[in-house]
Formats: sequence, C-alpha cells, structure tokens
Amino acid sequence: MSAPSRLRLALRDLGAGAAFGSMVVSGQLPVWTVAAFALSLVFALLGWRVFAKRAKATAVLLLGMAGLLGFSVYVGQLDLVVAACSFAGLIAGHRMLSTPEARTDGQVQLAGLLMVAGGAALSGELIFAVFLVAFCVFASLSMGLAVVEAAVPEGEPLPVRSVVRPLSVGLLFAVSGAVAFFILFPRLNWNVAARRASPGLGATTGLSDTVRLGGAGTLKSNPRVVLRAHITPDPGVDQLGSYWVARTYDTFDGQEWTSVGGPKRSRQRVTLRPGGESSLHQRIELLPAYGARTLVALETPTRMGNAVAHTASGNRRTSLMELGGGEVRFVDAGLGYSYEATSLPPEEDASTKMTEAELGQLLALPDRLDPRVAELARTVLDGEKEPLAAARKLSSWLQREYAYTLELQGDVEDPLADFLFVRKAGHCEHFATALTLMLRTQGFSARLASGFFGGERSDEDYILRAGDAHAWTHVLVPDRGFVTVDATPPGNRASQSMAALQLLTGLYETLESHWRSAVVDFSLRDQMDVAQRFIRPPRDSGRSSTRLPPARVWGVALLAGLVTYGTWRFLAARLSAPRPHTATRLVDTVERMLREAGVRPHEGETLEDLTARLVREHHSLAEPLAPVTRRYLEARFGQRPLEAGEAERLLTPLRRYLEARRAPAPSSGAGSQRSAS
Amino acid sequence: MKAKASSSWARLRVLLRPPRTLKVTRTGRTYLVVTFGVGLGALNTGNNLLYLVLGLLLSMVVVSGVLSERCLRHLSVRRLGTESAFAGEPFAYRWAITRKQGHAFALTLAEVDTPLTGEGRVGYLRSGVEHVVRADLTTPQRGPLRLSGVRVTTTWPLGLFAKTRVFELEGILLVYPRRGYACHVPTEALQGAFGDSSTPRRNDGTGDVAGLRELGPTEDARRVHWRKSAAMGKLIKVEREREERRTYQLSVDAGLEDAALERRCEEVAALSHQLLEAGHEVGLETPTERLRPASGHVQERNILRALAWVGFEELREERQKEEAA
Repeated sequence: MSAPSRLRLALRDLGAGAAFGSMVVSGQLPVWTVAAFALSLVFALLGWRVFAKRAKATAVLLLGMAGLLGFSVYVGQLDLVVAACSFAGLIAGHRMLSTPEARTDGQVQLAGLLMVAGGAALSGELIFAVFLVAFCVFASLSMGLAVVEAAVPEGEPLPVRSVVRPLSVGLLFAVSGAVAFFILFPRLNWNVAARRASPGLGATTGLSDTVRLGGAGTLKSNPRVVLRAHITPDPGVDQLGSYWVARTYDTFDGQEWTSVGGPKRSRQRVTLRPGGESSLHQRIELLPAYGARTLVALETPTRMGNAVAHTASGNRRTSLMELGGGEVRFVDAGLGYSYEATSLPPEEDASTKMTEAELGQLLALPDRLDPRVAELARTVLDGEKEPLAAARKLSSWLQREYAYTLELQGDVEDPLADFLFVRKAGHCEHFATALTLMLRTQGFSARLASGFFGGERSDEDYILRAGDAHAWTHVLVPDRGFVTVDATPPGNRASQSMAALQLLTGLYETLESHWRSAVVDFSLRDQMDVAQRFIRPPRDSGRSSTRLPPARVWGVALLAGLVTYGTWRFLAARLSAPRPHTATRLVDTVERMLREAGVRPHEGETLEDLTARLVREHHSLAEPLAPVTRRYLEARFGQRPLEAGEAERLLTPLRRYLEARRAPAPSSGAGSQRSAS
Repeated sequence: MKAKASSSWARLRVLLRPPRTLKVTRTGRTYLVVTFGVGLGALNTGNNLLYLVLGLLLSMVVVSGVLSERCLRHLSVRRLGTESAFAGEPFAYRWAITRKQGHAFALTLAEVDTPLTGEGRVGYLRSGVEHVVRADLTTPQRGPLRLSGVRVTTTWPLGLFAKTRVFELEGILLVYPRRGYACHVPTEALQGAFGDSSTPRRNDGTGDVAGLRELGPTEDARRVHWRKSAAMGKLIKVEREREERRTYQLSVDAGLEDAALERRCEEVAALSHQLLEAGHEVGLETPTERLRPASGHVQERNILRALAWVGFEELREERQKEEAA
C-alpha cells in the first residue's frame, strides 16, 4: 500500500475514533466496549489489519458481542440506545481491522455517522462538539482523498495538499451552514422518544441515599463545578465558608448512615421549617456534573421551589418531593436543574418540630458498637454536660489527634473502630461519624449531615466543586435547635485539587456554560428572539435610534478594512505569483555557488557558454559543472523535467568542490597547487 | 432511413439535455438515509445536538454540490480519438482536457449517448495544463459511430453525488469489424499459383539461384555460400529469384443484412488480415466501393475502413457533404 493510502486510512480510522469518542464522553458505554474499540483503533493506526484474513471467524466474534449486549439490555443492565451505540462502535472497530477497500471504507464512515448521532443522543457535553468537529474533519478528508485516489492512475502520487485546501474551505462553509441551520430551523419537537442525556465523564455520582464508611475518598480531588448559586443579600466575600446541606442522617448500623421517615407527596414548593426575617435567598443552578436529583441549599434551608429541569428537549417545571432526613428531590429527571431556596443563618433552627421517633433516633447507636468508643468519649469529655461545649471539645480533640487522609483501601468490618483505634486517619465522613457517635454514647443528640462546604466567587455568583462535597455533625442544643459542629480539620473541608487544574476546569466550565445556554438549551423561544432581533433591533433607551457611532469608530473600521484589504492583496499576489521552473531554481543555486567559488560570468554569458569557457580553460570547476549544465538544458528545454531530489544529487560535486576550496591547505601540501586558474 | 431517424433522435436528446445532471452514488444513498434518520430523531426528541448534526450533514450536501460544480467549470475538452477501434474488444481512446483556472479533482470522461463502454479518469487537473486522458473503450457494433459529446463527471468532494457536465462535441468514430479467425484461405487467386511464378528482376527471394556475388557489409550472413567462400577466400552470397505472391479479390455481396452482413464483414476482415500478413495482395469489392489489390498494412487499414462503412452508405454520403460544405 502506498503512503498516501495509509494517510487516508489513518484519517478514516481517526474519524471513527472521534465518532466513538463523542459517545464515550457520555460515560455510559460499557468499559469493555471502550477497551475493545480503543485496541482496534491502535491496531488500525499501526496498520495491523488483523481481521483481514479472518472475516468469518471475527464476524462470529462480533455476533457474540452483540449477544452479550443484547443480554445486558434484556436483564436491564444496559439501555437499548447505549447498547446500540456500543455495537456501532464494535462494528466500526471490526471494519477498521478488516481489509481496506471501498466497501469497508464506506462501512467505517457510516458507522462513524451513526456513532456521532448516538453521541448526540447520549451526551450534552462540550467535548461532544470537539469530537463532532474532529469527526467531520477526519472523515471529510478521508472521503475526499478516497474519491481522488480512485481516479488517480496507479503509481501516480496522490495530490494530498491540493485536496486538503479546497476541502478545508468547504468544511468551514459546512460548519457555518450547520450553525445557520441550527439557528434558523424551527425547533420542532414531537417528543415521542426523548431520552435523558447523561451528565458526561467526570461527573459526580451525586449524593447517595446513604453514607458508607470505608471507601476511598477520591471525590475531594474532583474540580468539576457542580453548583452555581446567586445569594441575596450578597455575602461579598471571595471564599464562602458556608455549609450547603443536602440531607441529614440519623441511623448508623456500624457501616452506613440512613434516615428514618418516608417520602411525602410531591409539590411545587416545599417548606421545611418556618422562615425568618434574616433569610438568605438563593437562586441555585445544579449543573449536569452534579448528576443527582437532591436539592442543595445553605444551612438551614426553610423553603425550596420554582424548580426547572433542563433536559435535552428543553426546560420544564418540575415538582419536588420531601423524603426522610430533610432531603428534597426533583421528581422529574433532568440534565441539570435550577431552583430557588431560602435559608436561615446557622444556629437559628429552634423552631423545627420533630416527632418522638425522630428524636429517639438521634440517640440511637449501632448494636455492635465497640465499647472503646464510649470509653474514649467519656475520657475526652471529662464530665462535660453541655451538648455544644461537649461537641466542640470532642471536635477539637479529633482534629488534634487524628490525621486527614483520602488513602483508604477497601471496606473494613468496623470502620469507626478502625478509624479511632487503628488507622487514626480518615476523611470527613469518618470524622463526622466519630463525633456524632461519640456524642450519642454520652447522651447528646446528634446527627450526620452531608452536602458541600465552601463556595468560590465567580462573577456575582458562587460556585461549588465536586471536591467540596463534605459531611459534618449537627448537635441538638436545647432552645437553639441543631448546631453545626465540624470535626474535620479545617484545611481539609473544601476541594483539594490542584490550583492549575481548578483554573483549567473553571475555564472549561465557563465554555460549557456558554455551550449549554447557546446550543444544548437553544429553544423555539430563543429562535423567536433571534428573529425578532433581526426584524426589530433592540433600541438603546439612552440613545436616539438615528444616532450614528462616533467618528473614531468609523476611523477604526476604515483602518481595519484597509489593513485587511492590504493583507489580502499582499497574500493574493504572493500566492498567485508564477513559480519559477525547477530548472531555473537549479541555475540560481549553481550561479550562487559559482560566485562563491570566485567564478563570474561575462556579460551576456549563459551557463552553457560559461561551462564551455571553463572547459576550454581547463578549470577544475569544469568537471563538476558540465553534467549539471547538461542536465539543466535537458530539463529546461528538452522536456525532461528534474526528478525529485535530482537537483541535490547534481549539486553534490559542486558542493564538495567548494568545501575543499574552503578547507585550509595542509602544511605538508603547502607547495601543492590547485589547477584552478 | 434508420440512420436518419437515429440521428434526429440524438439531436433531440442533445437539445433536451440539462446543463448539469446529478446522480446519487451508493455511498450518497446511505448518507441521505442516515441524514433522514438523524432528522427524524431530532424532530422526535427535540435534541439540539441532533439538530446540530443534522445541520452539518445537510450543509455537507450543499458544500458537496458547490465544490463539484466548481470542479466542472472552466473546463474545455478536446477529443483525440483512437488509432483503430475494433468491435468487441477494448481500444485505447484519448481526450485532452484543460482547465483555465483553478483545479479540478476526480474527473471521469466518457462519450455520451453511444454504445461505447468505458471511461477515462483524471485524479487531479491543474489549471492551464492540458491533460491527456486515456481510456479503454469497447463497443459491440461495427460501423461509424456518431459522437455527440463528451461527458465529464465528478464525484468530488465526498463521493456522495456524481455531477455531470456534457461538452457538445460532434464527431464520428469508425469501428472496424470484430477481429476473428478466417476458416480457410480462398483457393481462387487472380494471379498465379503459389510458388509458380517468379521474376528475375528481384533477387531477394527463395526461388531459383540467380547468381553469386560478394557479401556486402550489412547484408544477411545466412545467404553466404560457405563452400564458394572457402574456395575464394571471401564471403560469397547466393542470390535467388523472388517468388511473387498471389493476388486476391475479396468481396462483400450486396443484399446482405444484419447478422449475415456482420458475419461477412468479420470474415473478410480476418481473411484480408491473414492474406496481407502472408505478403499477398488483397483487393475488396463492396456494394458501393472497390479497392484495388495491394499489399501491406495501409491496404489492411483501407479494407477495414471500407468494411466499417458497409451498410452505412447514407451516413457516409451525409458526412462527405458536410465536409464538402
């Protein structure tokens, strides 16, 4: 296979890779299909078409994989669309490793198209757009080269550069056309088979129903932004040291936390407790990276409502449902959500009413709690009777005596005992659990709360990252209600990812925010707004509609136009200038070398005449120059053009001559003379 | 009459032909089906990304049309033709194509509205350079083939659509009869029996000994008489009289039609080839033409040309009038 064909195949395979990547970003494809395709892509790029001679056998293998995917769908492990997308990837991988021919090329491109469409259905990620463009570029180039390659006679080189240039321009126009179509085509929606797009790779799994101790805590290093909140009144600080509660837990069985209480009926607005005059209002947007349905609000939330779910097919209002532990969830599934919440400042939760069962649960201990826990708490508290003081005393002691770590491996039988007496290191859930249970062993009511800690200023809003996920303790103080006490060392409460990574992620999140608002959430209403803006441009109330821009704007515009025109003329002249004949370039080089050698042609003396003269004069340069001259004449006038690299070969003897001339004469050969005249 | 009708029909077709024609390729059909599917999916789900993909797919169709149109502009085509075209076997055919400005890609050239099969291809056509395109064409029929134009097709840029432009270019391709085998050589010759006659004027044959002379510097050494040469001490050549070849007059009888006429033409073509190859002189008599016996490749070409016109005399007259006018 010739080199250009290999290039075309590489482009084809990269196109298929980009198409598969557009599906992978959804994070929904089974790992084994991703691994199988990645392996196929690597093999294909290396030119190892391992299925070329085993078409039937490998087709059976493909059927087996299809069966596996089908079974996964049947048992409910896999969504049908995801399975179809995965199978398209496997087919593409199989075809990439088969004998390259027109049919397999077409099949790979077709599978690529289907995969891109699948990617659009699975994910709303910004990376999808990147993969889409990459697929367009690679696939178009590959198809364009294939069309030309089919028409180029065998043995002739493929004009890759000439093909790429017009194709690139065409692609630019295609992308512009796609944008125009996207904006102008009426956003119709039959809404028959809409499916929820996934939040994509790197999204958190959200807040689970339980808090289970013992697992590795990798969430802390995840810099993805999961929440954006606008707080009124504005706290006016860059770093917000606030607790954002999602839910609380009152029951611990030795391994994990749960809550008593069942779900209540769904409503548009949920009131958790009476509000107050000093309430903080929050307009919160849960980004797709959040990946869960639980509402989050500043401590202590009083009311939540006006919730809107953002789905792939548009935005719609959604109801809320209250569950046990103060958790409030969205009823409808969505890629992201926005809602409003009001919260009381911390330590103003005295009015929350609790049932006897709920109160009793705040003192519940697991059946097989290690007796050393109570003993340790008693020792540390040393007779302290006041709940808040006891909690703070224990919290200080834990922060002082125990280390923070995310390096925890696997589950242990008694994670609390393991934390307190063996490892003496853990993450926020260990600290919060230890504090809560130690308080309970001494008769103080307490519960565990989970959510986020912190808040980073971004314009007028605050953002929270996945790494800000946190757990802490609520201590029930008579006449004051639940008071937050955090046993986790302060430096380890918020996100712990690298600053550079956070910066990059922030940049990405900003871009994705624009992507979501301008593309993913683009609706019929937006289209109407655009149309209205075209028909009736918005008027600036401060200015008259007939007022023209100031003179300096016209000046700058004129200057910019002149510069652009000048650049264009310069480039056009450069690009359209006739290129010198290859043989002429050879003569230029020869003349330069002759000048360097001190040989000057007479007036009107051609290279041929000069060579003849040098031969007559027995000049040492005549020998290397004669063949060059002869070949030049053939190339320029004899219709025998120079071959690739031939000019360099012809010039080599001349170069050697010049190098020998430049080199200092050896002392022993001082008497030797050059034959040059 | 038949020829006139077909010629009128060909002219009508030329008049009614659109300036560009578009045909969807196999890949293009699949592409359109997928585009339709994506469109349905977008409408069905309201998924904006599917709308984006749909927009891109449709834009690529438009861009494909524009780029292929650009490819077919500023072209000029010249027909170079062929040396000889025999019915039923591929023959080399050439066109010269030039582009005044810009480049063109993946062009396919073919004769339009003819039974000629086969096409020539150009992968890349630079501006201002005349490119000679060669094709192996085949036609099943003998006779003059009226050529009305050259079809230039491109599938550039993505191979989804084949856009065609026809260059109106009148011409005639004379197709010689199918080459076959002659079953037997005719026994009746116009002049002499094989090997019976000879002429003393030409001494380069294989007949009787005409004399001996010294071998020239560039002469064939196989004619050296070795015994005489040994006796005389120099190379002596034997000169023999040349045997004259026979002369045949082949004919295509009047009244033959269709398959019988074709068979006879093919038979005469094969016979004349065989006899001329053997060095004989061959003449031909057709209902409207008579060729005097002669030998050599030029005579074979004349015979083939005459055979190609047999049955198409009206067209020949028409053409002669056109040329005279």
